[in-house]
Amino acid sequence: MLEINGLSASYGNVQVLWDVCLRVDEGEFVALVGANGAGKTTLLNAVSGVMKPGSGSVTFMGHRIDGSAPNAIVNLGLSHIPESRQVFTEMSVRENLEMGAYPSRAWKSRRETMKKVFGLFPRLEERAGQLARSLSGGEQQMLALGRGLMSLPKMCMIDEPSNGLAPLIVTEIFEILKSLHKEGITILLVEQNVRQTLAIADRAYVLENGHNALDGACCDLAESEHVRKAYLGH
Amino acid sequence: MIAFRDIFITGLLLGGIFALVSVGLTLQYGVARVLNVAHGEFIMVGAFMTFWLLGSANLNPLLSVAITGPVAFIMGFILHKTLFRRLMDTSPSLDIFEGKSLLASFGLLYVVQNLARIIWGSDVEGYNFLNSTVTAAQIPLNRLVALAFVVVLGGAFYFFLARTRLGKAIRASAQSPTTAELMGVDIRNVLAICFGLGLGLAAIAGSLLSTLFAIQTSIGLGYTVIAMVVVVMGGLGSITGAMIGGIILGLVSSTVTFFHPSLTMIAYYVIFIVLLLARPKGIMGK
Ligand SMILES: Nc1ncnc2c1ncn2[C@@H]1O[C@H](COP(=O)(O)OP(=O)(O)OP(=O)(O)O)[C@@H](O)[C@H]1O
Ligand SMILES: [Mg+2]
Repeated sequence: MLEINGLSASYGNVQVLWDVCLRVDEGEFVALVGANGAGKTTLLNAVSGVMKPGSGSVTFMGHRIDGSAPNAIVNLGLSHIPESRQVFTEMSVRENLEMGAYPSRAWKSRRETMKKVFGLFPRLEERAGQLARSLSGGEQQMLALGRGLMSLPKMCMIDEPSNGLAPLIVTEIFEILKSLHKEGITILLVEQNVRQTLAIADRAYVLENGHNALDGACCDLAESEHVRKAYLGH
Repeated sequence: MIAFRDIFITGLLLGGIFALVSVGLTLQYGVARVLNVAHGEFIMVGAFMTFWLLGSANLNPLLSVAITGPVAFIMGFILHKTLFRRLMDTSPSLDIFEGKSLLASFGLLYVVQNLARIIWGSDVEGYNFLNSTVTAAQIPLNRLVALAFVVVLGGAFYFFLARTRLGKAIRASAQSPTTAELMGVDIRNVLAICFGLGLGLAAIAGSLLSTLFAIQTSIGLGYTVIAMVVVVMGGLGSITGAMIGGIILGLVSSTVTFFHPSLTMIAYYVIFIVLLLARPKGIMGK
């Protein structure tokens, strides 16, 4: 479904991604883990068109998307739920969700989609009229997830949804990711919370200093000496 | 009492016009990131187009906004798609773009002003429009009609931003252009539309101003300064703030002008400084 080949990316003169390869098949739940500054967010940005990659190719459902504009990419059904939530703080919860349905094909059915999102996140429905600014961190993350679903994506790339949240809420968010996956949405999840991530994903990639370090089935990675030392702390 | 009421009505009208001008500048600066010092020139262009349409086609000045607004919108849209888009694509960062676009808009100011001078000359022009007074009151009819017009226009524009799909995309882009893009917004179009809307509002304000005051091809810069004061006063980038700030400044203007016209500009700055001391980030700033 998503295929990244030999991708490099730089900020000005500073290169941060080197020849990165990554593949996600339809229906998979793939994780991308790595330390702070490894280049995970940069990779997602280069895929979703927020940033132009230097070289390499990105293919989504048979379309070459490297160099395309973000709006064209989300139109194809690839939704990027950005790091640190990025909700529109001065708009209401409902308006945030409407913005998620901006692509024409999603706009027409936005009311029905919103009902489904409210089914998934009842707390958003209770707060539909409130400004997003007034939501708690966990609620804002739910809003960011719900908003990302409003474009009726076939695949979601989700950047650190657990960041800064209490353990109980993290568990709740991971449960929701699982149920999204069950409903047929392909997922690429970026996380620092390696233990919980390896427990729910099918496969994972480890990124170190902008290079592919390891990849494989999550159960194998969780057993690997390197991953245990560097990411699981034992 | 009657004097007070007249001051109030004139103040509201001026305030409404200032609000249109300032919302226009907010769209250009807050969303498209162009600190457009040529903004006021398009007020002047709107005023002269109205004057010219009245003279040549006998078109009612209020109805002329249906032409001056769209014409200025198209000019702004094209200007952004050509000039400012190119500057944006060649700037490594937003800060550098802001600097470059400021210089470019200075250029625009001179081009527009001099073209206008070639076409319309540099004399003071004016015309009479609905100058009959309203019964016992001393308010000329044009003020009341223009006031009603501004209220309807402002309300319609507010509705556009609050309720329509494009309006919401504009507000989202003002908060975070990158996130708006991730939602599927074609940011290149939205920025050009914002720049165009800004000029359109300026031209409409100019058309309305020409019903009240004499006009001259040099009036632009003064209005640009007023709009900048209002935009900072309202809270940079806040559309509601620009509306409130515009109305406040309009009321101040009519009050001070009534007592002592030469103090008007000073009063603007006093209010500006007092407000910023009380609320450093502006009326709606956070
Ligand atoms: N806008 C930017 N300009 C310059 N350098 C940047 C920018 N954004 C990120 N970087 C640098 O690129 C490298 C990769 O950053 P990136 O945000 O992709 O890492 P990450 O894996 O997402 O980290 P984290 O887990 O902390 O979110 C870092 O060294 C970072 O300092
Ligand atoms: Mg990151």
